Amino acid sequence: MNRRELPAVAASLLLASPVVVGALYSTLAPLGLAGAGANGPTLGAIGTVLRASDTWRGLGWTMATAAVATIAATAAACYVAVRLRTSRAGHVLAILPMGVPHVAAALAALLLLGQSGFFSRITYMLGWTATPGEFPALVYDPAGVSLVVAFAWKEFPFLTLTALAVLLTTSTDLEEAARTLGANSHQTYRRVTWPQLWRGLAPAVLAAFAFLIGQYEMPALLAPSNPLALPLLTYERSVDSMLARRAEAHLGLLALVVSALIVLLHARWRAHVEPEPL
Amino acid sequence: MNRQSQRWLLAGLALWTLSPMLMLGLRALTPAWRYPGILPDAIDVWPVISTSAGGRVTSSLLTSVVLALVTGPMSAALGFLIAATIVRARKGLRHLTLALALFAVIAPPIAFGVWLQVAVLALGLGGTLTGVFLAHLVPATGYLTLFAVGVFTSFDFSLDDEARTLGASRWQVWSRVIMPIIKGRAAEGAVLGGLVSWGQLAITLLIGGGVVRTLPVELLSLVESGNDQLGSLAALWMSIPPLCAIGLLRVGTTRSGAAL
Repeated sequence: MNRRELPAVAASLLLASPVVVGALYSTLAPLGLAGAGANGPTLGAIGTVLRASDTWRGLGWTMATAAVATIAATAAACYVAVRLRTSRAGHVLAILPMGVPHVAAALAALLLLGQSGFFSRITYMLGWTATPGEFPALVYDPAGVSLVVAFAWKEFPFLTLTALAVLLTTSTDLEEAARTLGANSHQTYRRVTWPQLWRGLAPAVLAAFAFLIGQYEMPALLAPSNPLALPLLTYERSVDSMLARRAEAHLGLLALVVSALIVLLHARWRAHVEPEPL
Repeated sequence: MNRQSQRWLLAGLALWTLSPMLMLGLRALTPAWRYPGILPDAIDVWPVISTSAGGRVTSSLLTSVVLALVTGPMSAALGFLIAATIVRARKGLRHLTLALALFAVIAPPIAFGVWLQVAVLALGLGGTLTGVFLAHLVPATGYLTLFAVGVFTSFDFSLDDEARTLGASRWQVWSRVIMPIIKGRAAEGAVLGGLVSWGQLAITLLIGGGVVRTLPVELLSLVESGNDQLGSLAALWMSIPPLCAIGLLRVGTTRSGAAL
């Protein structure tokens, strides 16, 4: 290492050290090698977490809600990007939710979709429901409807922006050629536009999915207590009044492992579908 | 797509993106909005602001502003310093630093917060504003390093070498050559760093331990306690800086011809 590189190395190490120390501690604590109640090597805490049905139900539920929201947001983003490719008003409208913080978006979902929320009032006005209890429970519900809607609303602008960036930097020659050869708009989209769009959009879709798995604010306001979403379960363990249970906060590593697996799978898929440059 | 269907799509898009914001705006102005009323019973903001909870929101707003104002420039300074060095560093060091920066950005905030909590508590800074600032600095610098690497990738470093050949010190090269060229991007970076700090909730909760009350923490507590009017008001305040930043960015990209 030369003197010129020294400031960057020092700054990087300074920034990375708390994370590395924390991650090391989070790994060593459940193994009984650090922290409160450390009595030598043990796999007890890890076993407790891996055996607990809460963990797998929480992980499954978190991944399912994140997946449905990502698919919905991707579909909407692709449709809007293709249809409003040249509309400035469309671009401005599409990116607006990006400025609203997740916790604020969750509150808006609560006010709109709650049993005494705005949509419930509309159904009352239309005579479809007579009391708040007759409106379906969309908030804190096991199906996670409000959470999925809120997730999709927040991820939609990022995915639309990415889809627009892909479309506006891709030549329309192929689409025009397909139309000239007799393809209708549906065939042109399916055979020409979508493959190009997906190749550019896939990393953003995976990033959105991985981000939603670790999202804390929205589940804190909209998710049910059973099953408990993985980020909420991790937080609950990390502030548990029983110090020994805090070792189980390494649950957070599960979200990281899932994110890492997604990135790895994407890299392999990309290497498979994209030919090596000559 | 014909004009008529494009108009319908635009209307649907406006409804989808704007209705949550309108809902927050309307609820923020309304002390009572009893079921099944479609419109609020009355509009009045002052009573809720003048309560003790209103005072807590103002104080948490100030805490958030202070944290964003300190974290933004500090993370920009660190991010640009790291990036300026690593773009010219050996491949191994460059990849390692970028991986660390990317890790700080993509790690789930709650897992990240748990790890940072260990380090901050060990330093005796748990539940303090300094501890929260240091914790915010880590992800903000991660973002800023990635941002600044993009800036320096197309930077002409021969200017730097020429100034050094002519006898300029390292500080003079930074203040007289590099800064005048990158000052616009550095300012954007400082805003981005401030916004990263502005939106942090999980990390603030874990490191601040409920003692350091930023606007997101106060908003969560207001919603959980059922104070929807003040919660909506806090949510709107929280949304203003990011929306302004997006507006400025859009104006900037349109002027530079880089708009979508």
